[in-house]
Amino acid sequence: MFDIALLWEARGLILQGLWNTLWICFLGCLLALSFGIVLAALRLANPRIFGYPVACYVEICRGIPLLILLFLLYYGGPSIGLRLNAEVAGVTGIGLYGAGYFAEIYRSGFKSIPKGQLEAARMLGISPWHTLIGIQVPQMARLIVPSGTNQLIVLVKESALISIISVDDLTKNATAIVNQTFQVIEPYLAVALLYWLIIELIARSGYALEKRLANRQPRQQGATPHANGPEALTAIVYPPKSDG
Amino acid sequence: MPMAQKLSPPSFTRQKAMVEAQGISKQFGNLEVLTTIDFRLDSSEVVCVIGPSGSGKSTLLRCLAFLEPYDHGSVYIDGQLLGYEDRGGKRVRTSEKRVDQVRASVGMVFQHFNLWPHRTALENVTEALRLVNGLSRRDADVEGTAMLEQVGLADHAGHFPESLSGGQKQRVAIARALAMKPKVMLFDEPTSALDPELVGEVLDVVKKLAADGMTMVIVTHEMGFAAKVADRVIFMDQGRVVESGPPNTLFRQPKSERLQQFLNTWRERHID
Repeated sequence: MFDIALLWEARGLILQGLWNTLWICFLGCLLALSFGIVLAALRLANPRIFGYPVACYVEICRGIPLLILLFLLYYGGPSIGLRLNAEVAGVTGIGLYGAGYFAEIYRSGFKSIPKGQLEAARMLGISPWHTLIGIQVPQMARLIVPSGTNQLIVLVKESALISIISVDDLTKNATAIVNQTFQVIEPYLAVALLYWLIIELIARSGYALEKRLANRQPRQQGATPHANGPEALTAIVYPPKSDG
Repeated sequence: MPMAQKLSPPSFTRQKAMVEAQGISKQFGNLEVLTTIDFRLDSSEVVCVIGPSGSGKSTLLRCLAFLEPYDHGSVYIDGQLLGYEDRGGKRVRTSEKRVDQVRASVGMVFQHFNLWPHRTALENVTEALRLVNGLSRRDADVEGTAMLEQVGLADHAGHFPESLSGGQKQRVAIARALAMKPKVMLFDEPTSALDPELVGEVLDVVKKLAADGMTMVIVTHEMGFAAKVADRVIFMDQGRVVESGPPNTLFRQPKSERLQQFLNTWRERHID
């Protein structure tokens, strides 16, 4: 017997949890994405003095569980004068943890660009900065979308751990409902569905981005560039895929 | 007139070399890839470099472009030392910026094209025009289209590399290098990655450049092409120049045993 009424009554807690999970994940992922690119850049930059420290950081992120990192930040922080409220600790934890993974994802993206392309740029006198911005980053971005999407999904799922450092997220509020009502199935299934919806949204956005970043196909032969109807415009921006 | 020769040092009587390598050598770890190579390329001269795989011909070309820093010796591009400078009697590496300056007159074409896959044919050609020469997008497009025209690909301007054949890709790569108005073009096995049927279209472009007086070094396995287009052919083996001379002499009367052997192997494979 699935008790919808129970969920309706507890909607306040569920929505509060959803909101907290959403914004904490959003900020956490943003931090992970941006700190990750800094780490990757430091690791690949010349001179290589940052290579080793960054590599260590990455290994630590991959080596310790997120929960331990959260404990250290939230419970261990005060002993070194770092007082974070639970939400900030959550965002920071997810961000620092994810950054280690994203650093590797970015790095793998950069590394899979054939060296010859960079030599071609050098021979044309294109500066390292322009090479990075115009040639490496766009290709890296395209290459990492699938693995980056995957990593974001993992982070959102692992965010359930912030409930343990007392953030009122989906997981903690579901548990609260369970404790009040002694009904286990409904609250947990409901939040499971909500997590799944968030993740589905990320996955779909990932696919869409992948498509968007794919090469625009060349204009079809016989297309008339001067026909400016909306269809013609669409045909130019998104022409039908040619074979090959 | 031995007297007259003594009075005027060689550097004054000789035409200034476009590219000159003096005793350059290069090691990868313990492996000596180039052993004191001397090389001279005059303006409008076409030199083909032939030799077996691993003979150091590509490394020589890459050292002339400073894509591989040579260990010893000197490379001069249009009279300027490439990659190193004297600082208080000690030889030190120059900045990348200085390398770029000296190398600005050198264009390079690679075996694997090295086009940027996220850029169309035209964008591949115009990228450096805009970023290095500071042309507006419009001017760069005009210039770039003219370059593509030169290699017969103006109608493929909007195509991405993935939808081009190997021969077309290589022609775009040539157009891309030519757009920077180089004085010297270096070709590193430009047809080795192509289907046999597509070799011709690329070599035709190179021939046209030769006819227009472009100064070129071409590392190639296409002997027939080398015989036709080269002013001079250099045969390399094990990091050394074994023999060099005009194609007629080199191919018809090879002096060294190694070259005879190399040409015989080639003939066996190509003429039935």
